[in-house]
Amino acid sequence: MTGAVHVTGPARSLQRIAAVAANTLREARRNRVFYGMLAAAVLLLLFSVALSELALADQKARLVQDFGLFSISLLTVATAVLMGALLLHKELERKTLYAILPKPIRRSEFLVGKFAGLCALLGVQVGLLGACWWGVLVLRGGAMTPALALALGLQYVEVVLVTAVALFFSALTRPVLAGVLTAGVFVVGRVVYVLQDLLSAPKGGFAEVPVMRALGKVLVAVLPDLSTFNVADEVLLGWPVPTDYVVAALGYGLSWTVLFVALALVLFERRDLT
Amino acid sequence: MTTVFLELRNLQKVFRVGLLARKVTAVRDVSLSLRRGESMGFLGPNGSGKTTSIKCILGLIRPTAGSVKLFGRDPWDIEARAGVGYLPESPYFYDWLTPREVMNYAGDLFGLDRTTRRTRTGALLERLGLGHAADRPLRGFSKGMLQRLGIAQSLLNDPELVIYDEPLSGLDPIGRKEVLDLMAELRSQGKSLFFSSHVLTDIETLCDAVTILNQGKVVAAGRLDALLDRGALEVEALFELGAGGEAAARALLAVEGSVERERTGARLRLAVPHDAVDALLQAGLAAGAKLEQLLPRRDSLEELFVRKAVRVEARGESQDSQDAAAKGQP
Repeated sequence: MTGAVHVTGPARSLQRIAAVAANTLREARRNRVFYGMLAAAVLLLLFSVALSELALADQKARLVQDFGLFSISLLTVATAVLMGALLLHKELERKTLYAILPKPIRRSEFLVGKFAGLCALLGVQVGLLGACWWGVLVLRGGAMTPALALALGLQYVEVVLVTAVALFFSALTRPVLAGVLTAGVFVVGRVVYVLQDLLSAPKGGFAEVPVMRALGKVLVAVLPDLSTFNVADEVLLGWPVPTDYVVAALGYGLSWTVLFVALALVLFERRDLT
Repeated sequence: MTTVFLELRNLQKVFRVGLLARKVTAVRDVSLSLRRGESMGFLGPNGSGKTTSIKCILGLIRPTAGSVKLFGRDPWDIEARAGVGYLPESPYFYDWLTPREVMNYAGDLFGLDRTTRRTRTGALLERLGLGHAADRPLRGFSKGMLQRLGIAQSLLNDPELVIYDEPLSGLDPIGRKEVLDLMAELRSQGKSLFFSSHVLTDIETLCDAVTILNQGKVVAAGRLDALLDRGALEVEALFELGAGGEAAARALLAVEGSVERERTGARLRLAVPHDAVDALLQAGLAAGAKLEQLLPRRDSLEELFVRKAVRVEARGESQDSQDAAAKGQP
């Protein structure tokens, strides 16, 4: 329309997504939840040092490894749940959305930008905590091995998926409920493999009670198996994690993430911004 | 390229509210069109459907029925919105950003190159009196400053169509004057203006045409000069009755169409239709009354607005919108 405005084409689309992502990242940097979770994770990592004093000499580094992975996973997922559930709500509540969406930006670009910005922030969080964990490992006579780095990387894939789930619920309902539902998906997703075992067992409630069996099947079908991204046991026991497995886990994580973001998009596209 | 920048045809929006999904019609059968270079005021009391209509125009809300065209396109098409500058009612921005950062963000969304963005940002912030605060976080900004920033970001893309929702709300008299001057400047640059306001004198000053909504319906629409029918002009006169006293008053009130407005001692204020002025003056001279004041009185937009709003409330349903549209739609 006007001389200097060009809005079509993939490059322009990426530019808009990047602008929203950068703005989301800039906003999140000022968020107390982020710093609170970061501080809590650092405290837990330091606590693992104290805890390791109670362990046998050859188990000290392993305890720090185990506890470190657990702490980083827990608090990064908590950040994803809290910030993801509020992602759209804050824009609507503060009415900042009304100055953005009338501009030449698609809702899909806005949503993907918000998601990318939050994922970038969580990447920074995992990176910072990973560096801190590395320091603690060195302090306890261990080291950051490629296998540990891989375990951390897969945890990040899980966090991205949980963020997508939070985004979906954020587009669907109010933030408190969105947070609760996302946390529920995370908890059940982490143990969905147990449910699969129970369903395939010849005896027990899930095998014999039709209602439970149907419910179990539905849960297994609609929830991602988050244990896919947990290779802590293998890494800590020194077992190799095959490349095929890593590639499959990445594909699995990406597929579920795309699905949840797409569902969020469908909801957001249909929404009247009153 | 189309010369009709904005077109609403039989726009309707029904919301479903509450647990029982009760239907509430916010906008019903609204039609209007705005051409290149025209400016239109969008009037109506609170809850009349102005903001809902504007949100439909900008693709924030999907119409239940009817159509909206921006530059001949669907407003969901981002190319349609590229030529629009929009100011929401009481604009909100990320309060941790500075005005310059807000403008940069907007510039990225508009796809402006860095040089254009910087040049326009500097010029607009200066023009809106925000140059001194360009790098201060918005957290400490007054409502008026936010309003001015909202206007600055709406002009960053050098839009051909400016859509403002209550652009003068929250501004002090100086701020109002500045914004009015700016809007007049935009108009003189040939930009099309579409804005809602409660301040009717501003609309009278700035607009060629007006659309008045009440209870979601158009109750009057058309060019201002056609709506404010000059045939309805009347003249108000103030006479000193002098020696004629009561007899002079009776003579003046005997003029056809004359209505007493006020009587204070020996002074009589009355109104007559425009075409009865000669008769009134002759009657006054003959009766020995002394004319002290003669004021032509034009039907104001405010009176039109109140009349139309009251009428539609009284009737519930009204044919006025169709009558007015037929009478004066540009």
